[in-house]
Amino acid sequence: MGQGVHVQELPGIGKRYDIDLGHGGDRVSVVVRRDGTRDLYVFTARSDEPTAVIELSEEQSRKVGAVLSGTFFA
Amino acid sequence: MHADLIGFGAIVLIAGLVARAGRRVGLPSIPFYMLTGIVLGPATPGPVLIEHPEDLALLAAIGLVLLLFNLGVEFPVQQVFGSGKRLFIAAGCSIGLNVGAGLAFGFSLGWGTSEAFVIAGALGISSSAIATKLLIELRRLANAETPIILGIIVIEDLFLAFYLALLSPILAGASSPAEIAMHIGMSFGYLLLLVVVAKWGARAVGWLIGSHEDELLVIGMVGLVVLVAGLSAEVGVSDAIGALMIGLVVARTAVRERVERLVLPLRDVFAAIFFVAFGLSIDVGAFGSVAGPVAIAVLITIVANIGSGLITGSLFGFNQRGASNVGLTVLGRGEFSLILATLALAAGLNPRIGPFVALYVLILAVLSPMLAAQSRYLARVIPDQFLRSRWRYVREETMSTACSHTDRIHITETDAESCFQCVEAGDGWEHLRLCLTCGAVGCCDDSANKHATAHFEETGHPLIRSLEPGEDWRYCYLDGALVREPIGAHPTG
Repeated sequence: MGQGVHVQELPGIGKRYDIDLGHGGDRVSVVVRRDGTRDLYVFTARSDEPTAVIELSEEQSRKVGAVLSGTFFA
Repeated sequence: MHADLIGFGAIVLIAGLVARAGRRVGLPSIPFYMLTGIVLGPATPGPVLIEHPEDLALLAAIGLVLLLFNLGVEFPVQQVFGSGKRLFIAAGCSIGLNVGAGLAFGFSLGWGTSEAFVIAGALGISSSAIATKLLIELRRLANAETPIILGIIVIEDLFLAFYLALLSPILAGASSPAEIAMHIGMSFGYLLLLVVVAKWGARAVGWLIGSHEDELLVIGMVGLVVLVAGLSAEVGVSDAIGALMIGLVVARTAVRERVERLVLPLRDVFAAIFFVAFGLSIDVGAFGSVAGPVAIAVLITIVANIGSGLITGSLFGFNQRGASNVGLTVLGRGEFSLILATLALAAGLNPRIGPFVALYVLILAVLSPMLAAQSRYLARVIPDQFLRSRWRYVREETMSTACSHTDRIHITETDAESCFQCVEAGDGWEHLRLCLTCGAVGCCDDSANKHATAHFEETGHPLIRSLEPGEDWRYCYLDGALVREPIGAHPTG
């Protein structure tokens, strides 16, 4: 994996990707479950509890991912 | 016939709705399926939707088979065996404590030896489904203890296969020692045979059921699984083991991923029927006679799990918060306890096992999410000496392996024994902290000058560690969390 991305196995659930966003300790953790569901954890600096957690279906995460990566335009 | 359909449809619909209401308030669904069966069954006064529970026997049996098949298919072999010896020690302690306490309790009830072994299993093996859902709902997937908890429950699932094999003579009604030995030998021989099939015959199995069309794949799969389960029961090994092992075999074929996806909705439906059918056979009036033993069993389970949480915590170097999360997340009992009770009742053991396990599962279903959510209060009262390190300041902090600043660790040791800035100013300090980026030593936040935190604010170096003897925690200022090395990265750590 690229710099600033850390991968960890979660036995029975799937894989977790921790992504450092660089500025001031904001980070995002994405859990990709085996059934395709993604859990998006958003952490901001100075709190060990996530500020936001959202559960995305495979379909939804494709949509969000396409927009984020810039391949989607309308 | 149509009357049967009405009753069956209504009870499944009601079970679904009741479970949905339970999910709203964060309760697991399995106990609610069972509760629906209990309330609307023939043994309980009030409305009765299904007069003869045995009408559902075949559907319920398919539910049991698919539950265990799915467990086998999804068993994360590589993740578990790649995660190191410590995890197996922790899981072994957890299983030993829980099953051992269950066995002692089972014998003290005086219901019989066979019954004691069934109760030990029902008390000892936690529900993977409940624990996994709890971790997702409590937003703990990024916590340090979460991969360990998941690893432990997965190993418990594996243990279940061996325990079922051990139980087979009991469930088959063997009486003489020779008969018992023969049954156990046969069960393990059968397990071995299926392991051999898994290793060398997976290709043939894949060929047998592997169609390009999902429709034909799922039909072949169900047929094969039910057939193997039935044959296993026929040769005196329980259908549950057969289903689990054929799941492990299918997991090694090329169709694994499609099977995993296709079996889920089937499993959910038939398993729900299995839980409802179990409930149907329970007489609510019998709860009174087992209430006392159930209360003790619940207490034993809570104590045993807190104990195993502490052992796991000290093995992996967690603080109080991590240890209490481990102990309180795996409290839920569900599918496995009900499977064992079903097998026991089918074998004609003491009928009190039915209401006993039902009530036990119901109580823990309500207690376990509540206790898991409030684990921080347990963390406050765990004495330091129970865990390896003296986590004086950090016992209630959540620990995380998701810290992404560990690439900024450059220095981990120092000879310094004083806070340089405090010495210059002529002040004293409480404890010392080491900056892991540049090696600067400063005093902690309980000291008057708080030089370690001041150093972070000045330089932005994110990670410190405690220099107090016996403490080995690292803290990330940016993440605001204690930091552990991810498991597997440094197996000896």
